[in-house]
Amino acid sequence: MDGFSGVITTISKLTKMCVLRLTSDNLFFVLSEKVANGGVSMWCELSQANFFDEYQMEGVSTEDNEICLEVTPENLSRALKTVQNAKAVKLKLTKKHCPCLTIAAELPTLSSISRVVTHDVPVDVIPRRLWHEFKEPNMPDFDVSIYLPPLKTMKNVVDRMKNLSNFLVLEANLNGEMNLKIETDLVSVTTHFKDLGNPPWGEDASQDGGPSQSRDPQAMAQARVDIRKLQQFLMGQQVNPSKAMCNIVHERVVHLILLHEDMSLQYFIPAVA
Amino acid sequence: MQKRVTFVEQLEMENVLTKGRGHVSTRSMDPERGGLESLPRHLGRETHVDMSPSNQRMKTSHIPQTLMSVPFLQHPALATGRRRHLCSIANVYSTEHMRQQMKRHYLNVLHTYIQSSVYTSHLKAFGKAVHALSRVGDELWLDPKVKGLALRSVNSAHSAYACFLFSPLFFKNYNLRPATEHGAETVKCKLAMKCVLPLFRCLNSIERNVEQCQISVGSPDDQVMIQFFCRHGITKTHNLRFQESEALQAVFASHLCPNVLKAPARLFGDVVMHFPSSQEEVTLSMTPLRVGLKNYCDAVNDHMKTMYTEMSLHPDEFDYFHVGVDSNITFCLKELRGLLSFAESHCLPVSVYCGAAGKPVCFSVEDMVLEATVVLATLYDPESKDPSQSAAMTLTDATQRCAEAAVLPVGSCEANIGEPEDIPAVTEMIASSQGSPMNVPPALMLPLLHTAGVCVPEDHCSSANSSPASSTICSLLFRAVSLEQDNHDSTARPPVLAFYSDEEENMEEDTDSPSL
Repeated sequence: MDGFSGVITTISKLTKMCVLRLTSDNLFFVLSEKVANGGVSMWCELSQANFFDEYQMEGVSTEDNEICLEVTPENLSRALKTVQNAKAVKLKLTKKHCPCLTIAAELPTLSSISRVVTHDVPVDVIPRRLWHEFKEPNMPDFDVSIYLPPLKTMKNVVDRMKNLSNFLVLEANLNGEMNLKIETDLVSVTTHFKDLGNPPWGEDASQDGGPSQSRDPQAMAQARVDIRKLQQFLMGQQVNPSKAMCNIVHERVVHLILLHEDMSLQYFIPAVA
Repeated sequence: MQKRVTFVEQLEMENVLTKGRGHVSTRSMDPERGGLESLPRHLGRETHVDMSPSNQRMKTSHIPQTLMSVPFLQHPALATGRRRHLCSIANVYSTEHMRQQMKRHYLNVLHTYIQSSVYTSHLKAFGKAVHALSRVGDELWLDPKVKGLALRSVNSAHSAYACFLFSPLFFKNYNLRPATEHGAETVKCKLAMKCVLPLFRCLNSIERNVEQCQISVGSPDDQVMIQFFCRHGITKTHNLRFQESEALQAVFASHLCPNVLKAPARLFGDVVMHFPSSQEEVTLSMTPLRVGLKNYCDAVNDHMKTMYTEMSLHPDEFDYFHVGVDSNITFCLKELRGLLSFAESHCLPVSVYCGAAGKPVCFSVEDMVLEATVVLATLYDPESKDPSQSAAMTLTDATQRCAEAAVLPVGSCEANIGEPEDIPAVTEMIASSQGSPMNVPPALMLPLLHTAGVCVPEDHCSSANSSPASSTICSLLFRAVSLEQDNHDSTARPPVLAFYSDEEENMEEDTDSPSL
């Protein structure tokens, strides 16, 4: 329960509203690329077996065995935080005055009878015709892939840089070097990270075999992003992930991947000119 | 005395050299060399205790034979010197030494306690009370009386009232000057909360630094002086100007409430935790079988976006549970949280007195030296078939008009003075705590003079009912200015001037010691 609560809290820090897709094996929190979100998109995947003792789900129909809901993760996160020390927690999709995700918890009390608390979080069901908008994003054809430095360090740096400028240039190369640069009229600041290591996508990632292998390891791929979006991403991370990677498509998009033991999170930040 | 560990083999060598003695002496000799603290003891068979005069000066301590005969000390490989070293360590733990340490420690603690005394924790409690009151309203009424110092606050919509009454025993010194020549003029002191709250904001630093606090109220200057006497001789003096205003008090007949619940503050804290702090209103429903709490969503808010929370409690969880009337009352949670956190920090049980919907609900906490009450208006449910609801009486706006309107019922009840009457619901229209006008009048509480039974004149009520509520904002509770002149009731207001002189928490009279 703590793990699930932690995931929801992280998601709630990233976005106000997102889509929850439930399949028989997994849960996905999806934020699709829309102007309203500033172009960022997010994909978070959890395996239900890691979090729930019991999981029953029935989709729209047998071929489309899925449920898609639009939910406000902050409400969910608040509700889950209050029932942290419950004996048992059940999440149900119910229909009260509107479709709701009901969290029913049994709390231990001093007397023999346990206290029952229910939180009803209103959700919106997404009709099937819109499901195509919330598909798993493709791995972009990146130019450079690099492991991220410790997120806390990165967050500190980005926090300070945010005071100076609105845009940050993130660049990295295949030699394990990454720079965060900001430039204003008065000052330009660069933070250099070295020896970060590059994930060995190698054989399977470079589909056409060409560019990645013949890329000069010193050449930097860069993307200029809105610093607030990067900061928002870094703020939400509470636990250190097992693996944190960043793929950069030169001047197009920054793709951040965090892998935890029981969930994976991908975050796309588009580059601005 | 200097302490140096010298092994006896070394000494033996020296002894052999200097004195040519054959056997090992167990005393470390030679005070000039700063030898071991010598230990007269019976070391056993092979050693020989030498009680030479020079040894008498050494501090000695006794190690009981039982300790000495433990197996590991008799080990043949254990050299005498090492054994002596072990014994010197044991010296540290000798009973006399321990006893002395304990005595010293006890005296230190006692001394510290006397210095700080329980009044520092009282100061912290006072600060917490100010915090709790700040969550209710923007103004603080200071009301020094014979029976204690009352701190009160009411919110702007007059739908919540809080009162903390500290008895004179709470203070180290609490002196009220008896009434002066000008007659029954009480000090009616109203301070802006934003002046008082910063003084008590950081309770931890107050606890660490402040040794005494002195509060003086003096009418010539219209000032309240709060002095903090801190460590290192620092004195912080705050002079706050107060406004004269009419007194603030609400009377709530808690003994007449049909439903009474009492539970430890922890229970309420746990319950209230489930509701987000932005949640304004909750509905408490009570039946003899269970108590339920859920958040209340009025039509203004977007149904679709708000989260609903509901929970229920079993009567067994309460220390005292008496439900006379099944009821559902809706009140604002925000103002209550201050009292609940105060109660939790003092581990005091909280009592809830309520009636049917529309009647106010009272939460109170009490201790031997203090008493805290929060009274909240509840939403009146027009659909409820509760027969105990009396007819609503509309009072319109500001205090002046309230006064006039309020005078009426009192006037007509003059004949009833002396008759104990069931306090009826003199319901008034009031704005909800969010400021949006409510369409239904919550029932309320009343003029202060409980000896004058307040009765609701029927004709007045019926005329009032016709006017719609939405435009009126009205005062919940209070006794209007004009009432003061009508009836002087000694219990309601003692005709004394409150001037306090005090040491820990003091009120000092300004006329004698003009501030500054």
